[in-house]
Amino acid sequence: MAKGPGWFDRFVNDLPERRWFQFLSNIVVVPFWAAIDPRPKLPGGARPAVQPSESLQRMMNLIMPLKNKSPVGRAMAAMVISQNIDEIFTGLDNVGTIHFARFIIIDDKLCMLSVYDGDFSNYIRDFIVAIGNVFDGILSQVEDGDDVIPTRDNVEKFIDWVHDRDLFQLPDFATDIFALQDAAMNRPAGSPPHSLDELPRAMILQLKANPNFSLGGGYRGYAGFSVAQIRQKFGLGW
Amino acid sequence: MSKTLNLNELQGNILRGYRADLTHVRYLLLEVVDLSDARRFLAASIEGVTPGVPKLTTAAHWADKKPHMCFNIGVTYEGLKALGTPASSLATFPIEFVEGMTHRSLKLGDFGPSAANQWPAPFDRPDRLHLIATIYAVDRSHLDEVQDQVAQAFSVLGVRDARARTDANVLGPQYAGDGSPNNRVFFGYADSISQPKFNHLTDAQPAKTSDSSPLGTVLLGHPTRMEGVMFGVPSPKVLGLNGSFNAFRVLAQDAHGFEQYLDQAAEELERALGDRMDQLLPVDGELLIGFQKGQRREALREIVAAQMCGRWRNGTPVANSPSHPIFDIPNRDQAEAFNAFGYQAPSACPVGAHIRRTNPRDGAVVQRGSNLSRQMVRRGMPYGPDFDAAKPDNEERGLLGNFIGANLGAQFEAVMCDWLNLGLLHPDITGLNDPLIGANTPETSAFDLLLLDGTSYRLRGFPRFVQTRGGAYTFLPSLPAIEYLSKLKSR
Repeated sequence: MAKGPGWFDRFVNDLPERRWFQFLSNIVVVPFWAAIDPRPKLPGGARPAVQPSESLQRMMNLIMPLKNKSPVGRAMAAMVISQNIDEIFTGLDNVGTIHFARFIIIDDKLCMLSVYDGDFSNYIRDFIVAIGNVFDGILSQVEDGDDVIPTRDNVEKFIDWVHDRDLFQLPDFATDIFALQDAAMNRPAGSPPHSLDELPRAMILQLKANPNFSLGGGYRGYAGFSVAQIRQKFGLGW
Repeated sequence: MSKTLNLNELQGNILRGYRADLTHVRYLLLEVVDLSDARRFLAASIEGVTPGVPKLTTAAHWADKKPHMCFNIGVTYEGLKALGTPASSLATFPIEFVEGMTHRSLKLGDFGPSAANQWPAPFDRPDRLHLIATIYAVDRSHLDEVQDQVAQAFSVLGVRDARARTDANVLGPQYAGDGSPNNRVFFGYADSISQPKFNHLTDAQPAKTSDSSPLGTVLLGHPTRMEGVMFGVPSPKVLGLNGSFNAFRVLAQDAHGFEQYLDQAAEELERALGDRMDQLLPVDGELLIGFQKGQRREALREIVAAQMCGRWRNGTPVANSPSHPIFDIPNRDQAEAFNAFGYQAPSACPVGAHIRRTNPRDGAVVQRGSNLSRQMVRRGMPYGPDFDAAKPDNEERGLLGNFIGANLGAQFEAVMCDWLNLGLLHPDITGLNDPLIGANTPETSAFDLLLLDGTSYRLRGFPRFVQTRGGAYTFLPSLPAIEYLSKLKSR
């Protein structure tokens, strides 16, 4: 029969359950780790992929704090969207690579959540070509939006702006976080090699740098198909 | 902007190619080690009167004084930094250029053996690769002479040579888009037939022909194909205006592997098509393709090669001539007319063909309005030893390619990422890579050959024929911009 863990191992394993340790972690341990071994904020949005199917149905979670954090500000944001419904539908149709797009407001943040096919930059660029004026209206309601209005004159800047505010997508396989951190720190992947024991710390420090994030890149009910393939299949025209 | 372009202020390799006259090219991969030497060289290259410094070739018309040598430069982001460009200016360059080609590898299909960490020197040290100088010349001695001059001012990290070839392939007589003798690349295709045309030199002036491209396709600060959208011009204006960007690529071509696959595909088609063979190769069709009666396997190889590319290997577009290449285009006008084809349905050219993916012309595309907006200028020249299919070897050979446009993200990367390797432009090919240059693996690769009755036959199991062996994103500054760079004071 295998011998169980010794008292010290049991003590350490139990630490995360102990209230005093949780308190200590928040105010001392995590800030201390973050100070001596900081992790850079990882970029948001879907990452480029080798597999073609991974380049379809990609998620954008664009989080934009409202300028006016009051019921009036929220109403103004809602009005911009509702006044432009026709243009938004036209834009979706013309861009041709968008499965879904939703606008929601949470805690005075206007969020645009969408599912699109292909490269992120082209998706945003095509959207601006199609309905740049609608984005100008939206941007007028959010923090730092004035920096990129009019979007048609600031396409590259606007693409970067959106990318900065698109939520980081936590990899589906937790250990992939190591490679992302290595890349962000300009280190060769796995050099020096990572131990599995480091994973909790790597994850906690990353989520300190990226407090808002998406759990995975989204889970798809019919993976590997583009908007146009679905529309073609159903005879909707693409 | 409606001011007439001053052609003396543009680098000449943006609006026109040189290889019709100058058949040897050398790329010098350079590092700035002595800033004052580098700045002096750049300043002197503008006027071109200082002994020992080559003159930059501009876009000015040559008339009948064709040069023996053309010289141009591109500067990487690291190069702009090394030359002392202020941080406030560097911050205005687009992200893909700032990050550089090695950081964009997944978007470009550069993984596995093509991954940037597999590239040989000097491409393994993008931090040291500051400039790429291009020399076109009538012969090697001119290349050597200019290289010696450049080496006085920069550290030459590497040299890549290429030369134009006109070697015939099995399709015999040739024709090219301009009616001149064909330029051949490995895999045996005539290359560089279709390019954006810039035959109007002010933005306000109407284009001379309907297929003329706006100057903003390749020059910063001018209207683009995208209505109401201009690409951002880096500041200060003197640095950004009339500049362009270039994706320089070293593309190794597996010529032997390609020919072997054609054998394999022809054998499969003979076996598998049965009664449907007439729909791909009609009775005596091999005669029209240039073979003897009964050489049907040879003819099938050429049909596969033609459909994968969208052109027969002598340049004839499949859209215009699905059953056989045309050998006797009599003059330049007819050649141009023959190349003014489209892909309106039903087209005889497969949707997945290389040239249709990279330039869908008037064919329906998912991203409506993007048919022409991703066009760019391509300038390529084959490198490596000649290939003899009868005596195959494993030497590296391929293409030194330049993909020039005003915005790398909206043009080069958009085509590479969405169209070439994902097939997002058409639902029939989405999820499949380009058959000729895509990042294929035999386990998943597929290409639908189009039969004459409109049905198709799916070929599978072909490998990746082209691997990336190096490259860099460069900025092609105008001459006033080069003067600006040469006069910077700080580092």
